Amino acid sequence: MAEESPYTRKFRKELMAGLSSLVLLAVLARAGREMYGYEIAKAVKAEGEGGLIFKQGAIYPVLRSLDALGLLSSRVEASAFGPPRRYYAITDEGRRALSEWQGAWRDMREFVDDALQAHLAAPSGPLLENHA
Amino acid sequence: MSTDRAPATVRAYLEELRRALKGASPGLISDALADAEEHLQGEIAANPGKTEAEVLDTVIRTYGTPQEIAEEYRSMEAAIAGPFPKPAQKPQHHGGFFGVIGDPRAYGALMFMLLALPTGIFYFTWTVVGVSLSIPFLLFIFGIPFALLFVGSVRILSHVEGRIVEGLLGVRMPRRLPASPAADETVWARIRDALTDVRTWSSLLYLLLRLPLGVIYFTLAVVGIVLPLALIGGSLIDLVSGHSHVTITDVPWLDHLFHTAPGLVLLMLFGALLIFLVLHMAKGIGWLHGHLAELLLVRL
Repeated sequence: MAEESPYTRKFRKELMAGLSSLVLLAVLARAGREMYGYEIAKAVKAEGEGGLIFKQGAIYPVLRSLDALGLLSSRVEASAFGPPRRYYAITDEGRRALSEWQGAWRDMREFVDDALQAHLAAPSGPLLENHA
Repeated sequence: MSTDRAPATVRAYLEELRRALKGASPGLISDALADAEEHLQGEIAANPGKTEAEVLDTVIRTYGTPQEIAEEYRSMEAAIAGPFPKPAQKPQHHGGFFGVIGDPRAYGALMFMLLALPTGIFYFTWTVVGVSLSIPFLLFIFGIPFALLFVGSVRILSHVEGRIVEGLLGVRMPRRLPASPAADETVWARIRDALTDVRTWSSLLYLLLRLPLGVIYFTLAVVGIVLPLALIGGSLIDLVSGHSHVTITDVPWLDHLFHTAPGLVLLMLFGALLIFLVLHMAKGIGWLHGHLAELLLVRL
């Protein structure tokens, strides 16, 4: 991946700030079982072409915050080797949040796509380059 | 995004992460370290064919550099209300001076002060016995494992104390025991680590300090509980029975005052006022002690 400008990195980061919660809830809802951080990190990586869209390390604080909000539940279990693992599972409240957030995300995506389409229809800025 | 000298071992990575998080709340630091350690060890376990350095090289790209991770945790704590729930983030009721009567923190602190004596005695005894056995035992072959075991017990005791401090005083402390040394480390490396770790020494100091502090806290708490109750109860009985038991021979006017009904009512009110003062004192001591514990058990 080409080196991005600091603006782009910041932009990605800000986009990810909310979306990572949505993605993690979705991963855990789809799995339908408890998963520990490393497992989730791998599952997220496999989710799409993203891969490096965001660093795996960034999911851990998000997991903790979702846990604190009650959207996930967690428990720590000693593992045979290495440090203990924290297992996360989605709660009922988390499922409710997930379905609401999916709606919010669809609205948001349409809104953004519309805006970008309008921009494409009357090209004037450097945005086109990204689509070229 | 690799720095000039990227950490090549899990230990080095965690050290750098700890440095990058310097100044953050100790609980946050320990959460971040625990998460990173879990992930890095997972990555190592998943790549049995690679050396630790090779795995770390990849990890820094996929997981993030210690600096990036530190930034994530910091911004997460700053951005979302209650991502790392702190007792302090509960809605605070500032009811002024008298509001303390409904402040759970004050009662927690009072409870802590009462518990401080028995726990303090235990910590002190454990530490003194452990230290004084460890040193002469070092002359023998079993002295080294014994000393290591003792250091381990100090860590566990500190952790337990941390849980008590968080529960009763509301200062956030680590949720997990510190990372145990890697299994492949030699005994000498472990001894060196234990001896050079400031935390070992500051924890020992804390456990020793807890006895004198515990004596003071316990005394203050007991006096603080008994005195107002005695004043209120005593004057109430005197009022009801119509016979004052208060005798203050040195100050005749006070002695006279407390033989009158209004005087006894005043004494009762003073006792009630004392309750609030004691709760404030407990809260203050709780705050001070919480920060002392944080400093000696976590921060250093």
